[in-house]
Amino acid sequence: MKKLYIFLLACLSLTSCEIDEDINVNPNKPSDASGGQLLANSMLSLPGLSSSTQAQFMAQYLSELQYVGTSLYPEGATNFYGWYTGPLMNLETVINSEELDGKEGPIANQKAVAKILKAYYFWNITDRWGDVPFSQALKGNANFTPAYDTQESIYNNLFILLNEANEQIVTGSISNDIVYGGDMERWRKLSNTIRLLMALRISEVNPSKGKEEFNKALAAGIMTSNADNFVFKHLALEVNENYWYSQISLQNRLTWWSLSENLVNTLKATADPRLPVFANTNDADEYAGLRFGSPNGGDPLKYSTLGEQLWQQDAPVYLVTYAQALFAKAEASKRGWIEGGDAEAEANYNEAIKQSIAQWTGSTTEAADYLANAEVAYNPDTALEQIATQRYIHLFMHGYEAWAEWRRTGYPNNLVSPEGKDVPTRLMYTATEAANNTANYNEALQRQFGGTDGLYGKVWWDK
Amino acid sequence: MRKLYLSTLLLLLVCWCGTALAQQVNVSGTVTGADSGIPLPGVSVIVKGTTTGVTTSADGTFQISVPNQESVLLFRFLGYEVQETRVGNQRVFNVRLNPDSKQLGEVVVTALGIAREERSLGYATQEVKGEDLTLTKEQNVLGSLSGKVAGVQMTGSSGSSMGGTQKIQIRGVNSVTGGGQPLIVVDGTPISNANFAGRSGADYGNLAQDINPEDVESINVLKGPAASALYGIRGQYGVVMITTKKGKKGPKKVDVQLNSAFSVEKVGNFMPMQNIYGGGGSQTWRTLANGEKYVDGTDESWGPKMDGTPVRHMHSFYPQDPMYGQLEPFVPQPDNIKDFFETGHNLNNGVSISGGNENSSFRLSYNNTRIEGVEPNTWLKRNNLGLSASLDLSDKITASANINYANNDAQRPSQGYYEGSRNFMQWFQRNLDMKRLKNYKYDDGTFYHWNIGRPNAQGVITNWRPSDWNNPYFEAYENLNNDNRDRFFGDVGLTYQVLPDLKVSGFVRSDMYTQNIESRIAAGGRSVNAAYSTGKYQNKEMNYEFLAQYTKEWNDFSFNVNVGANLFDRNYTYLSQATRGGLTSPGFYNIEGSSERPAVASYLLRKQLNSIYGMATVGYKDTYFVDFSLRRDHSSTLPDPYYYPSVSASFVFSELLNWQPLSFGKLRASYAMAGNDVSVYATSMNYEIGGLYGTVNTSFVPDVLNNPLIKPSFATSYEVGADLKFFNGRLGADVTYYEQRNEDDVITLNVSGASGYSSSYINAGLMVNKGIEIALTGTPIQTQNFSWDIAFNAARNRGTVKELYPGLDSRLLESNTYSGVSMYLYSNVGEQFGSIVGQAYQRDPETGKILLGSNNMPLYTTATHNFGSVLPDATGGLQNSFRLGKFDLSAMIDYQLGGQFISWSRMLAVKAGLAPETAAINENGKNVRDPLAEGGGVKVSGIYGPGVKINDEDVSGREFTGFVDARTYFRNTLGTRIYEEWIYDASYVRLREIRLGYSLDKASLGSLPFQKVGIAFIARNPLMIWQKAPEGLNPAELATGSSSFGWLETGGLNTVRSYGVNLNISF
Repeated sequence: MKKLYIFLLACLSLTSCEIDEDINVNPNKPSDASGGQLLANSMLSLPGLSSSTQAQFMAQYLSELQYVGTSLYPEGATNFYGWYTGPLMNLETVINSEELDGKEGPIANQKAVAKILKAYYFWNITDRWGDVPFSQALKGNANFTPAYDTQESIYNNLFILLNEANEQIVTGSISNDIVYGGDMERWRKLSNTIRLLMALRISEVNPSKGKEEFNKALAAGIMTSNADNFVFKHLALEVNENYWYSQISLQNRLTWWSLSENLVNTLKATADPRLPVFANTNDADEYAGLRFGSPNGGDPLKYSTLGEQLWQQDAPVYLVTYAQALFAKAEASKRGWIEGGDAEAEANYNEAIKQSIAQWTGSTTEAADYLANAEVAYNPDTALEQIATQRYIHLFMHGYEAWAEWRRTGYPNNLVSPEGKDVPTRLMYTATEAANNTANYNEALQRQFGGTDGLYGKVWWDK
Repeated sequence: MRKLYLSTLLLLLVCWCGTALAQQVNVSGTVTGADSGIPLPGVSVIVKGTTTGVTTSADGTFQISVPNQESVLLFRFLGYEVQETRVGNQRVFNVRLNPDSKQLGEVVVTALGIAREERSLGYATQEVKGEDLTLTKEQNVLGSLSGKVAGVQMTGSSGSSMGGTQKIQIRGVNSVTGGGQPLIVVDGTPISNANFAGRSGADYGNLAQDINPEDVESINVLKGPAASALYGIRGQYGVVMITTKKGKKGPKKVDVQLNSAFSVEKVGNFMPMQNIYGGGGSQTWRTLANGEKYVDGTDESWGPKMDGTPVRHMHSFYPQDPMYGQLEPFVPQPDNIKDFFETGHNLNNGVSISGGNENSSFRLSYNNTRIEGVEPNTWLKRNNLGLSASLDLSDKITASANINYANNDAQRPSQGYYEGSRNFMQWFQRNLDMKRLKNYKYDDGTFYHWNIGRPNAQGVITNWRPSDWNNPYFEAYENLNNDNRDRFFGDVGLTYQVLPDLKVSGFVRSDMYTQNIESRIAAGGRSVNAAYSTGKYQNKEMNYEFLAQYTKEWNDFSFNVNVGANLFDRNYTYLSQATRGGLTSPGFYNIEGSSERPAVASYLLRKQLNSIYGMATVGYKDTYFVDFSLRRDHSSTLPDPYYYPSVSASFVFSELLNWQPLSFGKLRASYAMAGNDVSVYATSMNYEIGGLYGTVNTSFVPDVLNNPLIKPSFATSYEVGADLKFFNGRLGADVTYYEQRNEDDVITLNVSGASGYSSSYINAGLMVNKGIEIALTGTPIQTQNFSWDIAFNAARNRGTVKELYPGLDSRLLESNTYSGVSMYLYSNVGEQFGSIVGQAYQRDPETGKILLGSNNMPLYTTATHNFGSVLPDATGGLQNSFRLGKFDLSAMIDYQLGGQFISWSRMLAVKAGLAPETAAINENGKNVRDPLAEGGGVKVSGIYGPGVKINDEDVSGREFTGFVDARTYFRNTLGTRIYEEWIYDASYVRLREIRLGYSLDKASLGSLPFQKVGIAFIARNPLMIWQKAPEGLNPAELATGSSSFGWLETGGLNTVRSYGVNLNISF
C-alpha cells in the first residue's frame, strides 16, 4: 500500500506543478511599438487613398477596354473598415499614448503629425461615404458599435484637430517620417492646406463657415511651392511599389484601361503638355480615348493607354499639392472669400496651371503657350468652370478627390452616364455594418438617405 | 522541471519492478467453436472482474497474463455462450465454445486506451475493422472511414488521388465558427492531423495520412463528449481511436505477410462543354491588314463558329513555330481537356513480420507507395515503417513500444482558381488543341502560350506575356509545387501489475514531424518575375502519461477505477522564406537568388496542458453499470484550470428477459462535458511588425483584439440509445439519439471595423446539435459455402445556431468575391449552421416569377438572399459483403442528402461560353448565339420590375416572354451576378469501393511455401450512382485544404477513378 501512496504522490506532483505563464507570452510579436513606427506604418496606407480603379472610374479618368464591369457603376458596397483598423487605429494609439519616446523627435510633433494624418484620412472617408463613425470610433472593446457622426460634425471636429496640430508644432524634426523626412514646417503647411481645401469643400452647404475656415487656414500658412506637396514616393522595390506598376507591369494589364474619351478630347483640344505624360498614343500614333463605360470595351490597339511614367515601380502618388491650393485660392477670390477679385483669381489660376504642368512634366516651358490658349485663358464669365476643369486635369489619377470636386461644382460637365447610369454621388457602406453595427448603420441611413444604402444619396456638403 | 518529475516517475516504476516480481501468470491457448470445430478469431478473453482482456487472433489463438492462479478467464464471442475457466495450474487452454442464443458484448478500446466490455458502456461506439478500411487500398486512413460510421461525415477531395484532404465531421458542426476537427489517437498517442493546404495551390492533405492503413487493426470513433470526456479539453469534437496490429505472445511463432497492389487511375466526371463556337469575344472575325482572319487570344469562347475557316492560330504568330504565318482550319477540339490528363499509376508494396514467444511479441512492417498522378508531372512517394513490441520483464512488468515512421515526397498539381490548369474549365477556348499546347517550349527557350494580347495589323505581337492564363503544360512543368515530410510518432511505456487488482502504467508518447514545402514560379509566363518560396514547419508533441487501474469484484458488484495524469507539451516552429523582386539567375531557385531582400517569417509556438483525471465504473450482476469520470485540465493558453465531468449508465435488459429471438439487449444513457481551449497567445496584447519603407521600419496595431478574460468552450451532451442483437447476432441494431450543446465558443467575433479592430476573441455562442444514428448489421445468409453480410448506417443531424453574441444574430464565416460580386457564408441565429448568402433573382412576391429590367434581362437582388444551409440533412453508408467458397465480393456505398455548395467552375464555364447551354438550340430551332433578328437568343420570361421604363413608358408589372442576346444573358448577367444559378444541392449516392477477391488456403497451395494467398480486383470511386448537382462537379469531393467547409468549389481537381489488383501472401 505504501508504494501506492508514493505513486499517487508522484502523480499529484506531476500536475500540481502549475503552468509557467511565460509559455503563453508571444515570442513572435513585439509587445511594444514606438510612435515613429506607428506613424510610419500609417503613412504606408496613404497611396491607397488614390491608387484604385474605382477612384479613376468615379472621376471617369480611365475607361475599361476589357472585362467591362466596375466602370458601369454596379451597386455594391465598398469597405471602409481597413481605414479604421489600419492607419487610423495606429494614429489614435499615438495620439492617446503616454509612452512616446522623445528620442524620435518632440512628442508634441509626433502627436501633431498623427492628428494631421488622422484628419486627412477621415476627410477622405467622410467625403466618400457621408456620415461615418468618428467620435465613438477607434475605442476598441470599449465600443464595438460606434455611432455614426454627421458629416457636418466630422468637418467641424477636423477643423479643430487640424488647428490643434498647427498650434502644437514645436521646433525639432521627427524620425521615421517617410513623407517629409521629419520637416515639421512642411507638416504645418500640409495641415493648413488640408484645412483650406476642406473649407472650400463646404462652399455650397455652409459658405460662411467655409469662408471663415478658409481664411484661418490661409493665415496659418499653407503650401508655398511644389516642394511642399504631400506626395507618397514609392520605391523601386517590390514592397514599396506603385499600385499601377503592380497592375500594369506585373499583372500585364496595360490593355485593361485607356484614358476616357472626354478627358483625352479636353486635353487634345488645347494641346495640353500633360497629355504625353498621361497617355500613350495608339496604334496610329494618335491620342484617342475610349468613351467611358462602353459596355463592350474597345480594341486596345486603337486607344491611348496609361502613360508609362505613371506606372513606373517608383512613380509617386500626389495627394495634396500646391497647385490644388492655388486653384482653391483662385476659386476663393472669385467667390469673394478672399480679397483681390478676378485679378487675384486669375493670378492664382495661372500659377496653379503652371505649377501643375511643372509637377507633371518637370518643366514650365510649355506653360505660357498653353495659358495663351483661348479656352484656357482666364475668363471672368466662366472662371468657376475653368478653375474646376483645370483642377480636374491637374488631379489626374487622384480620382476620389476629382470626384468630390465634381460633386461639389458639377464640373467638368462632360462626364457620361454609362448604360444610363449616372455618376454615383457616394459609396455604399461596408456591407457587414448591417450585421456588425445594425442600429447605428440603420440610423445613419435613415438620417441621410431615407433608409437606403445606395450610390446616389448625397452627402451633406453636396447641394 | 516537469520532465524531471516524469523521469522520476518512470524510474520509480522501474525500481518497483525489481521488488515485486513473480506472481503474474502467462497462459495461452486456442478457442474453437463446439459446433464446427473451426478456430474462432476475435473471441474476447477477459480476466474476470478486471478490464484486462485480449481477443483471439485469426487462428483462434490467444495469450494473456493473469494476476495469479486464482484468476478466472471469461471467453465471450458473438453467438456463443460465455465460458468461465479457472486458471489453476493449467497454462495452455483449448476452449470449445457452445453456440448460444444469449448474445454478449465484445471488448472495445475506449478513451485513453482503456479496454472495456462493450456491455458496460453508457454511450455509442462504432468500430471499424482494419480489413474494412483496406478493402480497396485507400491511401488516407480517414478517407477509408467514409460511409462506414453512423454520424461521421467525411468530405473528401480528389487531390488527384495523391493523399488529398479528407475532412471528418462527427455529429455535425459543433462550433459556431465551423471549426472543430476530432482528435486522432493512435495506440493512445494523440497525433497531429494538421493541414498545410489552402483553397488554392497544392492539396497537401491532412497529416493523419501518415498512418499506414495496413497497420490498422481497428478504428473506434468516440462520437461525442460522452465517449471523449476523458480527453477533457481536447475531446469536444470527438476522438478517432486507432489501434494498430500487434504481434502475439505465445508459443514461438513468426508470421510474414506480403501485400501488393497496383492500380491504374483515370480521370472521370468531365464537365460537358460546347463544341460549336471558339475563342473570341464576338462572332465577327478579327483580321490582319492582309485580310487574314486570326484567333483572338482572349480567354473565352464567345467567338466565331468553329466551321473550318482557315485562320491564323495563336502559334502562327510565334516566329519560332513551324506553322508561323500559316493558316489552319478553325475547328473544335472536343477532347482538349481530356487530352491533358494522363493515366496514373499507384503501386503499393508492403511487408509485415509479426511474431512472439512466451514473454514477448513484436510486429514490424514496411510499406512503400509510389503514385504517378493523372496530372502531368505529378507524383507521390511514401514510405511507412512500423514497429510494435512488447516484452514481459517479469510476471508483473511489461515494457512496450510502438514506433511509426512515415516519409512523404511529392510533386502535386495545383487546385483552385488562379494556379495550375483548372482554368480550362473556366476560361478557355474550345478550339485549343491540347496536343499542340503540349509542346510548350520552343528550341530557343521561349514558351508558347495561347492567352496573348492581339497582334498589330501587320500580324506582329510585341507583348508575349500571357494576359491571364499560362499554357497548362507550362504550369505543369515549370511552376512546381514540392513537399516532403518526415514523421515519427509512437510511444514507449511500462505496465506494472502492482497487486492482483491494481495495474499502473506510464507512457511517454511523441509525435514529431518536419514538413518542407516549396514552390516555384518560372519567368516566361504570366508573371514577370520568377519566384521561389520555401518553408520548414516542425512540430513536436510530447505526452507524458500515468494511469492506475483498479478492479474489484465484491459479491454481485464489480468496481473499476482508473486514475491518471497527463502532461502535454507542444513545440511548433516554422521558418518560411520567399524571394522578392525576381531571381538573380533564371532557373536558380534558391532564397539566395532573391533580387531584393527576401520575405522571411519565423515563428515559435509553445503550449502545455496539465491534466489529471479519474473514472469509476460500478457494475451490478453484469447487468447494470454506472460510470463517472472527471478531468481537470490546465492549459497554458488559458489563465485558469477547468473541470470536465461525465456520467453514464447502461442496462443489459436482455439478462432479465428470456425471449429467445433477442440475444442481447442494452439500454444506455449518458451526460458529459468536454471542451476546447483557445489558440496560443490570444490573451495578451501585442503589436505587429509592419512593412519596411527603405530602411524605415514600421509597426501596427493588430486587427484582432486579444482578450485576457477568455474561457474554454464547453460542449455538454446527452445521449440515449439501445443496442439490440437478434437471432444469435444475425441481426443487430444500434440506435442513438443525442443532443449536444456547444457553448461559449472561443470565436473571433467580427466587430465593426470602425472600432479599430476587425474582430475580437470572445466567448460567445450556443450551437445545438440534435441527431439520431442508426447502425444495422445483418447476415441474411450464412452457410458453409455462402454468406452475405450487410452493414448499413444512417444518421440525421440538425445543428442550429441558438445564440451568437448579445445584439448579434449573424456572423460571417467566410466570404468570396469574384468580379466584384461577393458571396458569403454566415452563421445565423435560429437557422441551421452555415447559410449561403448571395445574389438571387428578383422575383415577383405573388407569382414567384422573375423580374426583368428594361433590357429584358433578369434583375437580381443585392448579396443578401439566404439560400439556406451547406450542411447535409443525412449521411450514411451501406456495405455488402458476399462470400462464396473462396470468392468474396464487397461493395461500399456512401451517401449524403441535402447540403449546398457554390460552383465557380460551372459559373465560369457558362460565363466564358464553354458550357453547352451557351450554344444550345432555342425554341425557334436556332442556336441561342444566333442574332435575335434571325430567331436566335435565349428565351426569357418574367415580369418587368417596379419602375422599369421602356421608351419612357412605365412597363412595370407587365409580362414579357421573348428572346435576349445570349452573351449578355449568360456572360454579363447570369455568369456574373446571379449566384442563384450556381448553387447546387450536394446530395449524392456513390459507389465508393468495390472488391472481388479470391483466396487460396494452405490446402490448395500444396507444396508452395505459403499459408494463404489472396488476390483481389479493387476499384475506388468507380461510379457516382446519383448526384443532384450537374455532371462535372463532385459533391463528395469539396474539401479544400484547411478551410472548414467545402461550400465553395473554385476549381477542384478532377475525380479520379482507380482500378487495380491486390495480392496478399501469408507465409
